[in-house]
Amino acid sequence: MASQTVKCPSCKSILTIMGEPGEKVPITCPSCQQQGVFTIPKENQVPPSLTQQTAIEVSGLRKTYNHVPAVNNVSFCVNKGEIFGFLGPNGAGKTTTIKAILDLIHADAGTITINGIDVRTKGKQAKRYVGYMPEKVAFYDNLTALQNMNFYAEIKHASKQDCIDLINELGLGDTGKKRVGKFSKGMLQRLGMARALLGNPPILILDEPSGGLDPRGVVLIRDKILEMKKKGTTIFVSSHILSEIQEICDRVGIINKGVLVAQDSVEGLSKKLNLKPQMNITVDKLSASIEDAVRKLPGVDHVQGKGNTLEIICDGAMKAKVILAITNAGAIIQNLQTKEPSLEEVFMRYTEA
Amino acid sequence: MQTNIIYSIAKKEIMDNVRNKWIILVAAMFAILTLVVSYFGSLGTSGWQDLGMTISGMTELGSFLISIVAFMLGYATIIGEIERGSMSSLLSLSANRFEIVVGKWLGLAAVLCFTIFVGYGIAGMVIALNVSNVDFLEYLAFIGLTMLFGLVFLTVAICFSSIFTKRSTALGGAIFLWFLFNIILPIVFFGLLMTTIDLNNITINTTINAPDWYFVLNLFNPISVYSTVITMAIGPVQSSTGAGFITNPSWYSTGLLVSVLLIWIIVFFTLAVWRFQRNDI
Repeated sequence: MASQTVKCPSCKSILTIMGEPGEKVPITCPSCQQQGVFTIPKENQVPPSLTQQTAIEVSGLRKTYNHVPAVNNVSFCVNKGEIFGFLGPNGAGKTTTIKAILDLIHADAGTITINGIDVRTKGKQAKRYVGYMPEKVAFYDNLTALQNMNFYAEIKHASKQDCIDLINELGLGDTGKKRVGKFSKGMLQRLGMARALLGNPPILILDEPSGGLDPRGVVLIRDKILEMKKKGTTIFVSSHILSEIQEICDRVGIINKGVLVAQDSVEGLSKKLNLKPQMNITVDKLSASIEDAVRKLPGVDHVQGKGNTLEIICDGAMKAKVILAITNAGAIIQNLQTKEPSLEEVFMRYTEA
Repeated sequence: MQTNIIYSIAKKEIMDNVRNKWIILVAAMFAILTLVVSYFGSLGTSGWQDLGMTISGMTELGSFLISIVAFMLGYATIIGEIERGSMSSLLSLSANRFEIVVGKWLGLAAVLCFTIFVGYGIAGMVIALNVSNVDFLEYLAFIGLTMLFGLVFLTVAICFSSIFTKRSTALGGAIFLWFLFNIILPIVFFGLLMTTIDLNNITINTTINAPDWYFVLNLFNPISVYSTVITMAIGPVQSSTGAGFITNPSWYSTGLLVSVLLIWIIVFFTLAVWRFQRNDI
């Protein structure tokens, strides 16, 4: 017997329904007399949404392999509804952390909760909320894509129609009856994404989702991530390719050599590091006096002339004044490029040395 | 524990192996070998022998083959999935480790038993059509005991698959164990027995009264247990373990020997689960 609390669709009063998992219970709202049928979710079914504001919380995670720490005292949290980018160079401990979240490895210390549920003690219950795409996507090679998906759907209590729909959505429609052993890396990756999306889980954990994909595949996966975010899905995505993460993440955590070195929004991180935009200004004729005029300005950190182009690194607020100083010095600006501080720079700063 | 997850995993194992087609080959091989043994197996004569004689001919050959087939089915089932990466997905889908081992065991056991049943069954029917005195019950008992014996090796293989951290070492372990049970242990046990016997007084018809420790030792080799239980339940079997001219002690019984095989299965199954629960994927 399971109990479930639901909100009445018309008067919004809260009702408690009792029944066996999978049972269809007819109900009448006591306050507005609205009638309806509610299906008690099956034990293993993916719950429709998170009940806690913190989707994933990792605190004090430590894991050692042969006395070498792979991750050490890593703590962070992923909030409901956000895309959290987990960044780090290869071998930094990203996959180890993800595996610990899914209770695939036994951590030496630390606690991890998914929607407030401890993954070590109540792993089965906690993992119902999660769709996972591993770094190394693998299926059963002798079975077709659809047979593979049906197998996973059975375990997750998703429908067979879901499998067909997802295969189509990920652009694998015509290969559903093909043996997975014959799939290319890119096709496997897409099928891996389809598997993670089975049952429409409220949390997605994606480990290097676009590794090995062609540009079109990268865009497909990115669009899928954004689409899922719009639906309210919380997404935890790891990567070492920064450009793709920068555009989609609300917050990032940077891990290096097993230690979490930063956790903030992309802008927050560049501000903390005092990273400044770079301007490349090409003028008709570059002279030392122009360079000096720029160099004298406050907030300008770096000026270097290369041919007729000036490379300037300055505070964001000084950009207009720099241009004014150059035109006042008598030069005509022919071309202007600005480069905002990127996650790449943030990343390099945090992971160097 | 959720039975539907176990069922799905078992079904997947069966589908995977059926699609693999080698299991069909193995069943055909069993059938052909049984027919060959039955037709050409006895010295001096040719022509069909009855099922009882076929059973004695097949016991030793069968124990060689079935132990190999069971090892091949099981040695990579867990470590192979971990190495390829599909295990992490399976575990992330809220299937717990106990359910995975039970599901895999059931699925592979079904594949193995089906193969034995079809292979020996087809051969049995062909033989039954050609000879007059047919004891089907005896032959069914033979098939049943052979399945039980196969399950022992399958369970040991699955256990290796969960203990070893590399597919190749699991394979190495399985090969070593195959040699150990099929060749090394019989020679060692028999050698130990020979040191206690005065060889000068032995003629071809002598019945050796082996000491109890020899029979206790043999209980640790599922292959001798298998050939002994078939001798006891069905009829005499010539075997390299010496079961042919050594009389079994009175405390040997079909029940005891079957229990020993069951204990093998339970012990190694428990060990497989225990170890897999602690593995890092």
